[in-house]
Amino acid sequence: MSIARPTSGSAPAGPAPRPHLGRRLAYFSPAAVIVVFLLIAPTFLAPDLVHLLTKIVIFALFAMSLDLVFGYSGLWSFGHAGLFAAAAYSVAILVSKVGVTSFWVVAPIGVGVSVITAALFGVFGLRSREIYFMLITFAFGELISVAARTSYKYTGGSNGIWDVPFPNLGFGPAFSKVSYYYFALIVVAIAAVLLYLITKSPFGHSLMGIRDNEVRAKTLGYNTWLRRFLAFVLSGFFAGVAGVLYVFLNRGISPDQAGISNSGLVIMMVIIGGVGTLWGGAIGSAVIIFLNYMISLYTPSRWPLFLGALFIAAVFFAKGGVYPRFVSLWKRVCGYDVRGGRSVERATTDSPPEA
Amino acid sequence: MSTFFYSIIGGISYGMVLFLLSAGVSIVFGLMNVVNLAHGMLFMLAAYAGIAVMQAVGSFWLGLVVAVFSAGIVGLIIERGFLRTLYSKQLSQILVCFGFIYIITNLTLWAYGPVPKVLTVPAAFTNSVPIGAYQLSYYRIAIIVVGLVLCGVLYWAQERTKVGAIIRAGMEKPEMVYTLGINLMAVNVGAFFVGSCLSGLAGFLGTGIIGGVTHVTGESVVFLAIAVCIVGGVGSVQGALTGALLIAVLNSLAKTYYPPLAQYMMYILMALVIMVRPSGIVGKK
Repeated sequence: MSIARPTSGSAPAGPAPRPHLGRRLAYFSPAAVIVVFLLIAPTFLAPDLVHLLTKIVIFALFAMSLDLVFGYSGLWSFGHAGLFAAAAYSVAILVSKVGVTSFWVVAPIGVGVSVITAALFGVFGLRSREIYFMLITFAFGELISVAARTSYKYTGGSNGIWDVPFPNLGFGPAFSKVSYYYFALIVVAIAAVLLYLITKSPFGHSLMGIRDNEVRAKTLGYNTWLRRFLAFVLSGFFAGVAGVLYVFLNRGISPDQAGISNSGLVIMMVIIGGVGTLWGGAIGSAVIIFLNYMISLYTPSRWPLFLGALFIAAVFFAKGGVYPRFVSLWKRVCGYDVRGGRSVERATTDSPPEA
Repeated sequence: MSTFFYSIIGGISYGMVLFLLSAGVSIVFGLMNVVNLAHGMLFMLAAYAGIAVMQAVGSFWLGLVVAVFSAGIVGLIIERGFLRTLYSKQLSQILVCFGFIYIITNLTLWAYGPVPKVLTVPAAFTNSVPIGAYQLSYYRIAIIVVGLVLCGVLYWAQERTKVGAIIRAGMEKPEMVYTLGINLMAVNVGAFFVGSCLSGLAGFLGTGIIGGVTHVTGESVVFLAIAVCIVGGVGSVQGALTGALLIAVLNSLAKTYYPPLAQYMMYILMALVIMVRPSGIVGKK
């Protein structure tokens, strides 16, 4: 850091001089473009692309929920798909096997099951840290996948459940692909705002503090276990919301969605987008799902090959993710003060994230 | 009684395969702080390579040698080529290993299709000893003997040789080992290679009792290796052995007496160990 630019230090530096209004408008223009695109896209996209966009929006929420633990709390959850699938399976079983159709009954139950599952993961997983936490959540995610695969009577075994129609809200017209897209968009937008507020709250900052230096946080009197536990349960809540939205979009769920391949996919979204940046997860979701779609058009069965290569490439080249890189580039374009990029590792363990 | 006895013996033979698989993961984890999630891929690749050679040449023993060394060499490539640059970056290592899991699984599916490949056990091992109403094959007995012998050798090497002393010291205080002028990195690479070879051996011999190898085998066995590490604790031969035997024998007993529980036995065991001793039964601290 040079003395000439005192504001470019790490997080709690003094307030930077506010750029001109024009610059700020230019800086926020990409976000505005994305919002406008999301609002008008169904009017010109083909139905299967609307389906794809709905999937992107739902996985954006899933990835952001993961980032709350993965990036902000430094807990490497490798079993998040288990939470997602717990909610999805609860809804699918209620709708298809029990015959409950009201959205207002099944959705809270689905999210509730996901929250309870997250609490159980937390109780066991938070006995340890980092790599052990990763191994334990990995194991519990697989446990949910195994349970789904073996309880044929309720879950349909390996085939899963495939007769979940669009939800019944009890009012208004029945859902179409387009109206379900808007429904999912509204739910995800509300959830994303809540997640944003959580990360900016004193609670969110304490999570980062605990991640960066647990001993210091403990010395300051924080109950670090409880805060991490709450972060994990909150994350389970949002993953559950994503799971409920997804099961209606997908018309069902299968055990593969609960296992490590789905967890790995979401982790990849967070890493490609930018760990600990929240919005990065949404960008990652768009990148990965769109890539999956494009590659599957040409070689459907070779997608894992590309995904694997992407994993390895991301570790060596993605230093910090797409989102922070774009932000710093765009800030430079708009004449803002600029900070350097960081590697995946530092973003999760050493230093506070910069949005 | 013979039912009980048979399921114990069956469990032990499976436990030996798990031990050979997990010893490498456990030692490398303890020594280098590297969780080699690609370890299961070595198990699977070795099984495919060994069976291919055996079918081409017709020699079980040549297949065995090829299996062991192919796993060792692929392990070395992954370590030297990728993981080496990522020491102390655990998250990055895991992601790279995940990349390899996706790639190797998909390539094997491409090359061999979804039909399981089965190992033909040499004629000398196809006989069996009766235990009550059951037949215990010589092959399972041979696996138990091989497992016990290798376990003894590894334990001796860990406790009584200079390399073992360096490895144990390297787990405690690597800087101190370097300060004494010892090239710990060379020892690390050696341990990685030996662990990979053992995984290859487990892959080749194990396919004889786990009912063939498919493209998803690698993924499922690395999960078993993780379970062994959680239950037994990382970083020692005795830890890997304890974890492997406990998981395998309990699984086998559950299969015999109450099959619906068999799938969950491993998780119940893991949950218990995590609550009572988070570092594993034999783990330190």
